[in-house]
Amino acid sequence: MLTVPSVTPDAISELSTREMRRAVARRWLFRFSVLIGWAAFIGVWYFFSRLVFNPQQLPEPHVVAAESWTLITERDFRTNMQASLFRVLAGFLLAALLSTGLGWLIAYNAWWRTLLRTIVQLVVSTPIVALAILTLVVFGVSSLGPIITTAIVATPYIMMNVAQGLTGVDRRLIVMSESFGRTRTQIISGVLLPSSLISVLAGARLAFAVAWRMELLTEIFAASEGVGFQIRRSFESYDVRGMIAWTVLFIAVMLIFENLVFRQIERRLQGRTA
Amino acid sequence: MATVLIENLTKIYPPTITYPHRVQALGGVNMSVTGNVFVAVLGPSGSGKTTLLNIVAGVETPTSGSVRAVQDGVPAQVGYVFQEPRLLPWRTVLNNMLYVQDRKSDRSRREAEFYLTMVGLNEVAHLYPAQLSAGMQQRVGIARAFLVNPDILLMDEPFSHMDALTGRSLREYLQRVWLHTRKTALFVTHDVSEAVELADRIVMLRPGGVVFDDIPVNLPRPRHPDDPAVRAVEGEVLRRFDSMEAAVRFGAQAG
Ligand SMILES: Nc1ncnc2c1ncn2[C@@H]1O[C@H](COP(=O)(O)OP(=O)(O)OP(=O)(O)O)[C@@H](O)[C@H]1O
Ligand SMILES: [Mg+2]
Repeated sequence: MLTVPSVTPDAISELSTREMRRAVARRWLFRFSVLIGWAAFIGVWYFFSRLVFNPQQLPEPHVVAAESWTLITERDFRTNMQASLFRVLAGFLLAALLSTGLGWLIAYNAWWRTLLRTIVQLVVSTPIVALAILTLVVFGVSSLGPIITTAIVATPYIMMNVAQGLTGVDRRLIVMSESFGRTRTQIISGVLLPSSLISVLAGARLAFAVAWRMELLTEIFAASEGVGFQIRRSFESYDVRGMIAWTVLFIAVMLIFENLVFRQIERRLQGRTA
Repeated sequence: MATVLIENLTKIYPPTITYPHRVQALGGVNMSVTGNVFVAVLGPSGSGKTTLLNIVAGVETPTSGSVRAVQDGVPAQVGYVFQEPRLLPWRTVLNNMLYVQDRKSDRSRREAEFYLTMVGLNEVAHLYPAQLSAGMQQRVGIARAFLVNPDILLMDEPFSHMDALTGRSLREYLQRVWLHTRKTALFVTHDVSEAVELADRIVMLRPGGVVFDDIPVNLPRPRHPDDPAVRAVEGEVLRRFDSMEAAVRFGAQAG
């Protein structure tokens, strides 16, 4: 007689706990490798500050950490960080707004496509230091300069991806929507937006990274407050520790922001498209 | 009562860079469909069937001629089942259904669920299209077309992308639902037995988009593909296609 091994609920749960444990282990291994990466980075830093340069030229990581902590507890940390963050976000939002319109033009109008592609090539191939100095020349020391320059530099990345997202839309879904009597607005929000969202998001992420680098650089030349301005002040008073500490803090804040916002949105979108 | 009136309908696609010739998709189609009938438009690939349905649905403009699809004097609501499922990949099955509805209420949601149940898919209402088989996706497409309570049902070879077994069961299902609702239906196909099994009338198209024949199918329903009476009509349809081809060839020789 044929005997079939019985699959009891016990057996099933045992199997799934084993699989669960394996999945957890894999996740920890992944986290561990991230940790190793950080450790390696700090190790190389120590190596350079002790053996290649000297701690006056390149302060050691723990010195920078201590300096960062001092900065954080000081009162002008918040005002400077807020000023910079505000400009990054304002520039980025301005870029996002511009990109939506321009991306639309690129996707649907051949004349604008040619024109804007040329401009994009010009903007992307201009060294950002040149743009930062130009900002100082045009706007002087002001809050508006860094915002505008940041927006100009970030716009191409979102714009091209908006255009790409729109041209990649499945025409047949639009025909389907029309045949069922959907309105223009319904088609935009129901088909065009979601189908270009992935590509737009990728562009936005890139644009954000470009935006905060540009903003920082512009502040170094053309601002009277903000993290970039503090870096320049530290530089002018030979305060290498302060320079590096401000830089590290700014990068940390930007990375946290990027992870909180973009990664969360991406995670929400996953599984909905395939 | 729904009426589709097609007069002297032509559609000529202009030359493109990749294909520098004018393409005549429809060459003066005349036909009228009134009441609760199921009409099959039968023709080989490239005979303008999809073009015809798109013009009736109002998503394509004719080059000349006219199409009127009316229900009691006002423009008719159409329900379109496409050659492929055409579902929004970022929406669940249920939300794909809700997308074509004008009002969003508990009632409209219940209606959507009702039609999903009719096609046996209520269990998967919360899955995304990519998680369904092709046959299941096409069933969602059918349910969606019925959901808008259409005056006229347009179907473009809805089973052509399916394996024979799935197509057969979906056909049986469609027959049942259609008998239940008896909507005016325009069903496009290149499959003779499919046309005979489903239709009250078969309109035959030849390449170039010209109607060359039109025969009624007076057989009791539900029909079975193996029924000798169904077979006999299939034979008749095929004979007419053969003599049309012979005539076209003869005409070409004479000219
Ligand atoms: N958008 C278009 N631009 C140019 N030519 C087109 C377009 N759509 C269809 N055609 C041409 O019109 C003719 C009829 O096409 P249509 O899709 O209506 O045929 P069909 O009968 O539906 O074919 P099938 O059975 O393969 O679906 C074909 O020769 C096709 O190449
Ligand atoms: Mg077709």
